[in-house]
Amino acid sequence: MADFPSVEFFETLRERMNANRERFRRIGTADVVLVVKIDFPDHVRCFEVVFDGYRCESARALPSLAAARPGAVIVEGPYAVWREMVENIQRNGQADLDHTLNTLSLMDTPLRISAANQLDTDLFYRYQQTLQEFFDGAGAIAAASVRGDGQAAAS
Amino acid sequence: MGNFSSEVEKAFDNLSEIRRGKLDLRWMYANPSGWNSRARPRDERGLTLEDVNAVGTYGVVPERGGTHGSMAPRGCEVPPQTPSLGCYDLNDKSLVWADNVAKLYEEAVARQWSSARDVPWGELTPQPEDLERAMCQVCTNLSEVEFIAGDMPAKWLWHINHDFHEVKCFLATQIMDEARHLEVFRKRALANGGGLLAASPGSEELLRLIIEAPDYTVASALMHILGEGFVLTLFRNGEMFALTPVEKKIFRLCMQDEARHVAYGTMHLKYFLERHPEREGEIHEILRQGEEATFSLNLNRENAEARAILAGGGLDHIEEGIEKVRYLFMKQIQEYLHRLKVAGIDRSSRLAIPVELPL
Ligand SMILES: [Fe+2]
Ligand SMILES: [Fe+2]
Repeated sequence: MADFPSVEFFETLRERMNANRERFRRIGTADVVLVVKIDFPDHVRCFEVVFDGYRCESARALPSLAAARPGAVIVEGPYAVWREMVENIQRNGQADLDHTLNTLSLMDTPLRISAANQLDTDLFYRYQQTLQEFFDGAGAIAAASVRGDGQAAAS
Repeated sequence: MGNFSSEVEKAFDNLSEIRRGKLDLRWMYANPSGWNSRARPRDERGLTLEDVNAVGTYGVVPERGGTHGSMAPRGCEVPPQTPSLGCYDLNDKSLVWADNVAKLYEEAVARQWSSARDVPWGELTPQPEDLERAMCQVCTNLSEVEFIAGDMPAKWLWHINHDFHEVKCFLATQIMDEARHLEVFRKRALANGGGLLAASPGSEELLRLIIEAPDYTVASALMHILGEGFVLTLFRNGEMFALTPVEKKIFRLCMQDEARHVAYGTMHLKYFLERHPEREGEIHEILRQGEEATFSLNLNRENAEARAILAGGGLDHIEEGIEKVRYLFMKQIQEYLHRLKVAGIDRSSRLAIPVELPL
């Protein structure tokens, strides 16, 4: 059981990616630090996911956005949007046309991409297939684990 | 023996000496300081150019490429009688180099894809005629403009000194990428009941500017940063135009390739301007011309109308589409200016076109 959002959730995605070795080798190397920032009405939660070559190296919770590594690409948005994205992936096995990371962030809303400079932001574009398939790994996590309030999931 | 030239006869002589056991073997002991190299893969990505560059002096890229003018690989012993090919005139590292180029080459090789295999062609579905026609027009235009980014590196490749092989290798991957972009949009236009529509005379002005640019760095700034930067943002927004999972995947895969090309161009311009700040004015001037040509390319009838129809979801919703295209244009400008900032050049106050479409 891996609640969303939680370190366990991202750990599960990490393990799935690393177990799905041939698929991610076919997509190719990715070297990027992704920070997922989830905005709740009264607080914020951040998770850092590190991609290195063909692997997802680590996934951890950050105490705040300020703790993100230099060069990190930040994807941020309201909890309800993240939750809808994860539920959509769980329903379809992968994000449908309206729920890909890229579609949700195209107009800078409801998700928004940022980084210290444009070349770092461009990493989000450069590794899009890897990032999308990493999140599509949520399709194999039990749907019941997406919590309605997002509050109780301990990191 | 037949009647062969003295050159061929000399080769026969060599062969018969080898057969008689009269060996030379001096080549075995050439380049002694380069011997005993044991390059090792850093991790599971395998043995990369960066790994072999970490061995001995093989990774030392000279500021000025070898004067022998041959194709001899960097780091080998070049016999004095090696003839110059007489074609390498980009001999200065600053004219072609980018610090990320070896990494980008390996990434390009690792992230290659096939339009035949990796696009889910079976998921194409019949579309309303206005949308299919708009998609076919966008594909016609992309198929037209994409290979400029193959032709431009091809024009300069054989001028680049072989000591900068990392750049040559990367540009070769770019040419392969652009070949795929040309054909994937052609395939899409022909795959769903439509076909190729109209070529775009307005697009050709920008292509001409790129292909006729007076030197490599000027051409690179114009193409890698301005042209491909705009296309990168367009491909990202291509997901907004997508009618089926087919276009979504095409735009996503092309976007990844473009981001590498833009990353090279941005870091090349940075490397160049740090060493030739006196040439900043020249770069401004070519970018000014490029901005004007890009503006008319983006807004000529066949491109602007087709994109707005796709973005809005049909001819009846073109107003909504125009609003989205307006946002796309604003993003193209912002991202372009931000990439130039990374390269060390500020055009925010010198832009030759508006930052927003006057709609
Ligand atoms: Fe391209
Ligand atoms: Fe390109």
